[in-house]
Amino acid sequence: MLLEVKNLVKEFGGLVANSDISLEVEEGRIVGLIGPNGAGKTTLFNCIAGYYRPTRGKIFFGGEEITGWPPHHVAKIGIARTFQGMKTLPNLTVEENVMIGAFCRTHERERARRDAHEVMELLAIREEANALPKELPIALQKRIELARALATKPRLLMLDEIAAGLNPLETKEILQTLKRIKEERGLTLFLTEHVMEFIMTLSEMVMVMAAGRKIAEGPPEEVAREPKVIEAYLGERYAQG
Amino acid sequence: MRQLLIDLFSFEDRPRFEKLGFLIFIIIVLVFPWIVKSAYGRAVMIKFLLFALFGLGWNLIGGYGGQVDLGQAKNVGFGAYATGLMMLWWGTPFWVTVPVGMVIAAAESFGVAYPMFRLKGHYFAIATLCVALVWKELFVFWDWTGGARGVEIPIRPTPNFTYMQFGSPIHYHYFIFFLFITQLLFMNWFRKSKLGYECQAVRENEDVAASLGINVYRTKVIAYTITGGLGAVGGSFMTVYYLYIDPDFVMPLDLSILIAMTVMVGGAGSIWGPIIGAALLIPLDMYLGAWLGAQKRLGIDFMIYALIMMVIAAREPKGIWGIIERVRKKRME
Amino acid sequence: MELTVQLIIYGILMGLVFALIALGLSLIFGVMNIVNFAHGEFLMVGMYIAYLLSTFLHFDPIISLPLAAMAGYLLGIMSYYVLIHHILRGPMVAQLFGTFGLMLFLRYLAMYIFTPDVRSIKTGILVGKVLTLGWVSLDLSKVISAGVCLISFGLVYWMIYRTKLGRALRATSIDSEAAQYMGIDTKKMNALAWGIGGATVALAGSLLAHFYYITPTVGMLFTLIAFAIVALGGFGSITGAFLAGMIIGLIMVLSGHLVSELKFTFIYIVYFLVVVFRPRGLFGW
Repeated sequence: MLLEVKNLVKEFGGLVANSDISLEVEEGRIVGLIGPNGAGKTTLFNCIAGYYRPTRGKIFFGGEEITGWPPHHVAKIGIARTFQGMKTLPNLTVEENVMIGAFCRTHERERARRDAHEVMELLAIREEANALPKELPIALQKRIELARALATKPRLLMLDEIAAGLNPLETKEILQTLKRIKEERGLTLFLTEHVMEFIMTLSEMVMVMAAGRKIAEGPPEEVAREPKVIEAYLGERYAQG
Repeated sequence: MRQLLIDLFSFEDRPRFEKLGFLIFIIIVLVFPWIVKSAYGRAVMIKFLLFALFGLGWNLIGGYGGQVDLGQAKNVGFGAYATGLMMLWWGTPFWVTVPVGMVIAAAESFGVAYPMFRLKGHYFAIATLCVALVWKELFVFWDWTGGARGVEIPIRPTPNFTYMQFGSPIHYHYFIFFLFITQLLFMNWFRKSKLGYECQAVRENEDVAASLGINVYRTKVIAYTITGGLGAVGGSFMTVYYLYIDPDFVMPLDLSILIAMTVMVGGAGSIWGPIIGAALLIPLDMYLGAWLGAQKRLGIDFMIYALIMMVIAAREPKGIWGIIERVRKKRME
Repeated sequence: MELTVQLIIYGILMGLVFALIALGLSLIFGVMNIVNFAHGEFLMVGMYIAYLLSTFLHFDPIISLPLAAMAGYLLGIMSYYVLIHHILRGPMVAQLFGTFGLMLFLRYLAMYIFTPDVRSIKTGILVGKVLTLGWVSLDLSKVISAGVCLISFGLVYWMIYRTKLGRALRATSIDSEAAQYMGIDTKKMNALAWGIGGATVALAGSLLAHFYYITPTVGMLFTLIAFAIVALGGFGSITGAFLAGMIIGLIMVLSGHLVSELKFTFIYIVYFLVVVFRPRGLFGW
């Protein structure tokens, strides 16, 4: 079991954002996390990635306890993540963005540059190496973020709403890209998403959160039919159409 | 080792016009004392190089690190006083006092950095101001540092390479130029180093930097510490150049402001920014002052500079270098 | 004993003046989340106006004080429309540059016009008089200053919490976007905050001019004092600014009595300790 979360609770003052969450992600799998807005998905992500310290509960990665570890530690041990919204480093070129990811694993600039170019090649952004991210279309910027995360040579890649803001064609492309890099790099993917088609197609297993709790878990088709899940999504379900 | 030397001296990654421009600049500076013979002109050039030196060091934390530090004068003071007091009390040779000053400044910076980096943005800037002011007032208050009377360096027969005392500005010119080049090469190495990249990542987005394995806090502390050490070098130079130092001269708020301002207007975060900024301000300051009559017309130069600064804040936060880059990009399209 | 009481009273008097100085900074920060490096320069402007009016036109403080406040108001509004409005949406570094540049501009403008010479107001009804209450004797100028500051503080407080305009201001500070949707002209609110900030601090300056040195460089000192107060009281909290102002006033007077040269040093140290160990201050968000 690559990632294990045991009875995680995260409270902010009086607000309970995550309540008694337990989950397991097996190595080599693609696991999705869905739930209505405010369900606590990003909070969970942030707890795992080290940006929040859990109020209670434990987190294990590769058998080692990482509860409360700061983000840079979590990154070094092999968990990479992307952020909601566009979080490229705006004043640095694409190459520099990815190199900083590569520097996670080396001290030498040339080595970092080589690793960065390898990853950029994999994500078909090598041509834009000297451009600034803000000059490029959103779909490309997503790939830059992916490349950057990948350059840290992670075992687990956590994606926070990577498909947000993409049109159907771009969504399909990024789905293929993810499948490809997963195979190529032997990654485990743990992603949270609102675009249903995307996450249900990609994931092998899906967890559902609502109001801070895990309410369902299983293969996508089963989870989609569960009454609890439909209920949690009632409004959004109609919006999805 | 070989790679280190390459990194130090190589400007390979910069476009040709930059390398050319830099070369021309170096040549001008090298031959300057033989072309310009006026004492005032030479003094302006020396002051320009001194502030370019200050700017280079500040650029590390302020430009690459993105943390606006308004208290660099304290580090200048540490260097100046280390040199001044050691020379006065124990007759220590200049080049021995320099590392001592650097270590003192770096150590103090390191100590104060830990609590201070809990703060960000404006609050951090104000805190750096406070720290620098506290030190200045302490130096005025203490007797053992000479208090407000300052420290006078005994005049010795020139030329004297132990205490770096010279009769003619030409020597000081090459002296400060040497210090300037040293720090420039260091910054050249820095911007290409892992630490340099990490600082920039932290500047751009701390959360993202952390997600890439960067210890944000530690990076900031290290950057601030190094800048502290670098600032002291200029202070040591001031002691032997002016032969007199006191807290209002080497550690005042105005000096911190000037250093930060020079770099911000020139272009913080770029290797050339500090040089451009100093090249604009120092001659402006010195010649405008002389032209208008120093005493009565104090302040116009800074007013102009402040206006430039406000315009830059509203239009191009990347400073003059940012404007140059933008123009160049437009040309390429 | 008598000395202690005297010192405490002075501390409170100075504290009231400081509270007014800090009020503007807190208000501006509360309404639009920008920190005004030029705050102390507005105070300095108030000082010079009072100086000019009383020394050259022999105006009574009754006239020069409101004029100084008005000048501060106009300066604040102008600064907003000319500069601040354009840097509000930019990166934080740009905002810092911007108010910093404004600070430098005002400071060196004053230096150009007035030279670095120290000035003071030497004549007028507020100068040199002493008020004696029992065994305690106090400078009249300080007592009146404290009184005016207290009243002004109260007026601004009343305006913010008891008037419709104040409500609009508060709405803007809580959520400017939402305020816009409700029909509030946030641009005007921002400008108003700067106007009030400028007016109050210039008023404080015009009062201070009667018992403190007037130089072009005095601004930074008061900016830092204001910062220390706002940090201690909590950024954005008006009551916090009041209480913290008193505390800082007391600290200054008491430490000034112990080690006169370091009386401001202690304030800087307080700022540092507060922001490092209790960033939220006493009442802030």
